[in-house]
Amino acid sequence: MADDILASRLERFLAARLPGTVRVTALERSTEGFSQETFAFDAELTHPDGRREARRWIAKREPVAGLLEPYDLGPEFRVLHALSDDPLPSPPTPWFTTDPADLDRPFYVMERIDGEVPIPAPGDDGTGPFSDAERETLGPDIVHALVQLHAIDWRARDLAFLGVPSAGKGIAARELERWEKRIVDSGLDVAPPLAEALRWLRANLPSTDEITLVHGDYRLGNFLVRDGRLTGILDWEMVHLGDPLEDVAWCSSSLWRAGTPMASGLMTPEEFAARYAASSGRTADADRLRFYEVLTIVKMIAIMLTGIRAFRDGRTTDLRMAIFDHQLPFLYLLLGMSRGWLA
Amino acid sequence: MSNVPVAALIDGVMQTLREAVLPDVKTRFARGQVFAVLDVLNNLRDRIAPSPELMQAEIDSATMALTQVIAALHLPAAQPVHAALAAAPVLPLADRVAALRAALVVALDATAAHPDARAPVLAHLSAQAMRDVMVLKPSLLQEISKG
Repeated sequence: MADDILASRLERFLAARLPGTVRVTALERSTEGFSQETFAFDAELTHPDGRREARRWIAKREPVAGLLEPYDLGPEFRVLHALSDDPLPSPPTPWFTTDPADLDRPFYVMERIDGEVPIPAPGDDGTGPFSDAERETLGPDIVHALVQLHAIDWRARDLAFLGVPSAGKGIAARELERWEKRIVDSGLDVAPPLAEALRWLRANLPSTDEITLVHGDYRLGNFLVRDGRLTGILDWEMVHLGDPLEDVAWCSSSLWRAGTPMASGLMTPEEFAARYAASSGRTADADRLRFYEVLTIVKMIAIMLTGIRAFRDGRTTDLRMAIFDHQLPFLYLLLGMSRGWLA
Repeated sequence: MSNVPVAALIDGVMQTLREAVLPDVKTRFARGQVFAVLDVLNNLRDRIAPSPELMQAEIDSATMALTQVIAALHLPAAQPVHAALAAAPVLPLADRVAALRAALVVALDATAAHPDARAPVLAHLSAQAMRDVMVLKPSLLQEISKG
């Protein structure tokens, strides 16, 4: 769909939900997200009394195929919508539609929060993406927001629709099962390093009775940052109910340390876990963190295999899916380091 | 060994150039260069094959690891590994690589209760992980993300 058609359809969508008229400008497709299609745009609202207002929004649309297929934006929207009045810096998200007359595929609209998304890659001088001063303010922000996120009363917010896992080992078992299914569904061969990790995960399910909202992709690359402060938490596609330490391990993963030894380029994983524990009052249980550290890499492999399969089958022409085939050896290397078999 | 065959990958590159790049290339010279790239790729797609040297290195390493596992395990524990190794075709090399990888997974299962016998498999995985990474070029993920 050409940008001008997209803009006019967005205008029609917004005009049906807002008083007055709407003009969409500066529509741009984002290159940063690899999964859902993301369009940033400005909107000029003219209220019935003639007053004008400038707004900035993001539209997120289901892709035809991709990394997290089959797609269903519904749960993600319901969570973001439910949290729209929460102090947590998640983007207020007012509207969702599945009507193909709007943009062909389901999409939701959320407010655009100020800030930049630091990319999880080493800086030009080989250092991480943040200065010491930025780390000093951003690190505690990231910990604090995660503690806030896990403190959300998901029952009171009617988020049980996400599926409540059984306490004990059931929490980890469900998550592992979910990602093993993705691997199987990809139909691609399970490489020996992945098979080894899956075997270990099955044999080492940790137990906990703590069930919280889990962002599922809480890490450098999904944080909006301005002047060294966290302004927004993005990409809630993998939100679910589960073990809060899953987010701690995910955020600390070697996958997004941006060429540094630090969790999301901010602080050592040990410090991150200790600060989280101190701030949340939870125990940073080593066995649970270890399990989710390995599962993080397995999940990333599952995501890549799904994207590769979609490309191989011709269901997406997005060449970014194909490059994951070249990333897999790095992931297997990280699995080797994480599992301890890499010499 | 890749999950996406080289021909499919090149087809995807050409489609991206035609549909996502070419419409936004404005100068005649630059457009001509894009068409030249398409022409090169189109004539290259059926002439590229995975490196036999790389496959042979993996085959040698995996075969040695599996042989050591079989020697370290007592029957009947070694039987499934032996059968998987014996069933691996000699040629084509790509099929042998795939069969040996499957045999390694069998070996991981067979050695679950025998950690000492598993050591050769893990040593192979380690060496193979390094071999696979060594041939990769620096990632452009940052540039891809930033556009």
